[in-house]
Amino acid sequence: MRRFEYHEPATLDEAVALLGRFGDEASLLAGGTDLLVEIREHVHWPRQVVNIKKIQGIAALGYDERAGLRFGALVTAREIETSPVVLEKYPGLAQAARELGSIQVRNRATIVGNVCRASPSADTLPPLIADGATVKVYGPAGERTVALEAFFTGPGTTLLGPGELVTEIAVPPPPPRTGKHYIKHGRRKAMELATVGVGVTLTLDGGACREIRIALGAVAPTPIRARNAEDALRGRALDGAGIEAAARIAMDECRPISNVRGSAEYRRDMVGVLTQRAIRQAMEAVR
Amino acid sequence: MNVVGTSVKRTDIIGKVTGTAQYAGDVKLAGMLHGKIKRSTVAHANIKRIDISRAVAFPGVKAVLTHENVPRVLHYGSPHPRSASVTCDQYILDRKVRYWGEGVAAVAAVSEEIAEEVLDLIDVEYEPLPGVFTVEAAQASGAPVIHETGYANNLLFKPVVVTRGDVAKGFAQADLIIEGEYETGRPTPAYMEPNVCVCQWDNTGKLTVWVSTQTAFMVRGILAEVLGLPLHKVRVLVDHMGGGFGAKQDLFQHEFLCALLAKETRHPVRMEYTRGETFVGGRSRHPCKIWLRQGFRKDGTVVAREARMTYNSGAYGSHGPGVTIVGTSALTSLYRCENVHLEGRCVYTNTPIAGAYRGYGVVQTYYALDIQMDEAAARLGMDPVELKLRNAVREGDLAPSGHPIVGHGLEDCIRRGAQEAGWEQLRRRPHEPDGTFRRGWGMGCEMHGSSAYPGIKEQGNAIVKMNEDGTAVLLTGAAGLGTGAHTALAQIVAEELGLRFDDVAVVHGDTDIVPWDIGAFASHTTFMVGRAAQMAASEVKRQLLQRVGEQIEVAPEDLEVRDSVIAVRGVAAKRMTVREAMGPKPGIPAANLVGNGTYTPTKSYSFAAHFVEVQVDTGTGQIDVLQVVPVHEVGKVVHPVAAAGQIEGGIQQGIGHTLTEDYIVDLTNGRSLNAGFVDYKMPLSMDMPPIRTIILETAPDPGGPYGAKGIGEDPIIAIGPAIANAIYDAVGVRFRHFPITPEQVLAALKDKTNADA
Amino acid sequence: MKRVVEVTINGERHELALEPYRSLLDVLRNEVGLTGTKKGCDVGDCGACTVLLDGKPVNSCLVLGVEVAGCDIVTIEGLQPDPERLHPLQESFMKHGGAQCGFCTPGFVMMAKALLDENPNPTEEEIRFGIAGNICRCTGYTRIVTAIQEAAKELSEGRSPA
Repeated sequence: MRRFEYHEPATLDEAVALLGRFGDEASLLAGGTDLLVEIREHVHWPRQVVNIKKIQGIAALGYDERAGLRFGALVTAREIETSPVVLEKYPGLAQAARELGSIQVRNRATIVGNVCRASPSADTLPPLIADGATVKVYGPAGERTVALEAFFTGPGTTLLGPGELVTEIAVPPPPPRTGKHYIKHGRRKAMELATVGVGVTLTLDGGACREIRIALGAVAPTPIRARNAEDALRGRALDGAGIEAAARIAMDECRPISNVRGSAEYRRDMVGVLTQRAIRQAMEAVR
Repeated sequence: MNVVGTSVKRTDIIGKVTGTAQYAGDVKLAGMLHGKIKRSTVAHANIKRIDISRAVAFPGVKAVLTHENVPRVLHYGSPHPRSASVTCDQYILDRKVRYWGEGVAAVAAVSEEIAEEVLDLIDVEYEPLPGVFTVEAAQASGAPVIHETGYANNLLFKPVVVTRGDVAKGFAQADLIIEGEYETGRPTPAYMEPNVCVCQWDNTGKLTVWVSTQTAFMVRGILAEVLGLPLHKVRVLVDHMGGGFGAKQDLFQHEFLCALLAKETRHPVRMEYTRGETFVGGRSRHPCKIWLRQGFRKDGTVVAREARMTYNSGAYGSHGPGVTIVGTSALTSLYRCENVHLEGRCVYTNTPIAGAYRGYGVVQTYYALDIQMDEAAARLGMDPVELKLRNAVREGDLAPSGHPIVGHGLEDCIRRGAQEAGWEQLRRRPHEPDGTFRRGWGMGCEMHGSSAYPGIKEQGNAIVKMNEDGTAVLLTGAAGLGTGAHTALAQIVAEELGLRFDDVAVVHGDTDIVPWDIGAFASHTTFMVGRAAQMAASEVKRQLLQRVGEQIEVAPEDLEVRDSVIAVRGVAAKRMTVREAMGPKPGIPAANLVGNGTYTPTKSYSFAAHFVEVQVDTGTGQIDVLQVVPVHEVGKVVHPVAAAGQIEGGIQQGIGHTLTEDYIVDLTNGRSLNAGFVDYKMPLSMDMPPIRTIILETAPDPGGPYGAKGIGEDPIIAIGPAIANAIYDAVGVRFRHFPITPEQVLAALKDKTNADA
Repeated sequence: MKRVVEVTINGERHELALEPYRSLLDVLRNEVGLTGTKKGCDVGDCGACTVLLDGKPVNSCLVLGVEVAGCDIVTIEGLQPDPERLHPLQESFMKHGGAQCGFCTPGFVMMAKALLDENPNPTEEEIRFGIAGNICRCTGYTRIVTAIQEAAKELSEGRSPA
């Protein structure tokens, strides 16, 4: 392990001040399940580590019919995975949280941390984007809210400016007749980094698709929406041919790379196969 | 039998479930320093210059070693007693690096963090050499020479040629000739305990080493040789170890460096590999390319077999010769054939080192052989079970070692497995050619020898002492890798002496105390050391009964011992406990009963047939193993639970290398691409199928204790071809390599669809 | 700079002066002397370092020592109800072949303890899901699953105290 100094701010303002003081030398620690690995594997070496776990008011998870789901920066993946309201209303997110590392990891890892790490393959991002989540950002200039799908600027980078941190994620309540699904593709059934992740949230109106959002992970520098595929389905009946055509469009929309986990061609193929499967399963999940 | 054959409570486990078992990495000594290795960032280069001045000056750093200040002694990376199995081609640190990640320097510092940090302050200037990363590139004319000590064209040694009968004549009799090329990946043992050692010198100049090794006496021998010490000045200690699977027969670089750092700093030094280093600086299986051609009669009889295989040794020889010899000669057998011609080669490349790993060369060649047998069955319109039974090696056939096979173990395994799996009904069931998820069954066979004979004339040793209260102690040098070997040895001693299991203790793991041992490998511990322990116990029993016979005036032959009680045969009233027999009498000390057993084995063979069901997702190419029915014939089973545990663990590793595990090297620069558990993908709890283990005792070998044979390596061999054959059954695509990835499955399915259309 | 941390480990209070960059795993092993918890990968992939932190299973390699101030930690050494008796999970791992080399065993036993605390009668699938972050290279998991199932029976039938 690399040596570093350590800070435990008691308030958000103290945290912001520490980030301001140390600039690039500082890293935020919430769950620590990514940060400590990166330090140990020499990906980077923050000289200052700012642990935000002692800050009050950012550990709550709540739901109401109007505002939907809100959870703070310290809410763990395990809390999300086991939360009855998340399981009922945000099953895609619950499934993604369930597939993030192990229970041991999920007892520490936070969803906000998963978001801020901005890995293109992060499991919770496709379902959150498909659900229309927003993030609340706190910083030297006060608070602002950003749509999650606009939050990412590249692999590992976000809109967060100097001294800023994410304090909360909000996810709108599902309209009636909504179904959701997340499929992660990996070689094993657990402990994987997604080769491809597909999150689908759709709302039916009679037999037709009133609204649909398809979010893809691990096939572009950031998680992306397959907007053209969505457009091809929105307002139409969801039949086999339509779903297949939309999946082909999604294949064109993604921009995967080849690495040790899979080739670009294979990832693109999987976008096609798994988008169809995710749409079908989201349809089955409509309630 | 009373003790042998029962699953007694394993004495080594209580420390493991309570956390008190001591592993080498748990040793903590006063004043202990921490060592780290700096590793090369190029695959093939001469070191022009190493500047350690900044590192030496760093606060907390106590010593820095480079090739300029360590002894320059060429040594065997894996020190079997100078057998033809291993290669003498390594230095502690060399002026040249031969693979990406090879150690080039080492430091000792007051903390692990400082040791790690200071590696960045060692400046190495390399003069790059062209690298060769495949066996083809290494053997091409004009390829850079990796070792001056090699044979030619980067071959480790002269090719192995094995001939029986006349292949040309055999092929002339064939109705069907099949040939194919096969290729196997680079799985690694990935034992859970990273390599670790602690070294300490005392003021008499004696070195004590706590180390995670399968071969404590070999570590002692080679450390003594390279450091110029007599054997009584080196003591190697290994109590518990967290797995080895063959690879921990080698010395890695850190044992030498740790000893030298401890000497230079006059402090104990601890060196532990990171998980990444266990890949980069560890040992993998040898990737292998095999060309195999066989001739068959219409009735399925194999009449000729010809093969050429090339094993990739990586940057150093390690077990390359042994693996090549064993893997090549294995193709003389399993399926009998009178006309055989085999050639095996082993080649240096600038890639991480391949070494000994469970299945030692045979995993590769039997993968090719068994898949080709399945293909032959399909081409001949036969049931593969019938074809394999027809050709199965049997009593009296010549084994790869040159010995006659004992019994009909392989046929027994195939028949029993077919029955358990319901093979006949499975063959008749309709296949669903159009579903997204398609299932298939396959089977594969294997045989594997216990002991490394004839490559090494091995020797097992044991000392048994009886205490004055009638309990006994076994002294053995055999390592406890986690297989339950010490429990099995204690069972054998208890059985032989007629003692209760609880009355036998085992002392192991200290080279100053226990008798010399060759190491735990080649599936031989129960077979060989077990026999030695049986001999030693038998000698103690002879002494005991003689003593009792004299006391009560009964011929020793008329005495029997059971449950620690001695009785006169046929005279129920005449009994005494062993404790009573041994105990001191007033004014007379107890007897000193000691037995010494030395056993020089040849070899026995164990057999298995694995039946497996897979499911192929034709959308993603993903393969799931749904169930496995392994049937193993291992002679007398000493501890059924431990034996089954060996089988199931071997199957896990076999499923791994067949489907998901592959240590990948960038073929443009030799860099490792997945040196960690995220991207080196071992099957985990949710990936592993139910396993219905069946163990047969139908072909005991007179060479082992009570007929016991080896089990350690067998279970990793047959599962691979069984899976490949099951995939063929499911989707009609024949794979001739491993690992078989979803991507390749999908591509092959597309090709097949195009070809069918 | 070292920070002073008060923490309860296996029921015993400790006051430790810790470097902030030392993991809980290293603290337990090197500074408290509890070497039962093992380091298999040091990056949260293998589960060998699993301990209970305020009742929840975590990888102690991914927790800083300074983070556990005021917390309650249970390691493998703290599982036995008393020195004369093993926990039913420990007995069960011994009896059913759930341990071979033993290096992963403390992590598995602690994870299984957490699992059964939360779900006293898990299905085989729930057990396999629960231990997905613990790597065993020796057993093929079959006997570990059996050991956990049998311990669950033992515990739920009240034959042994947890």
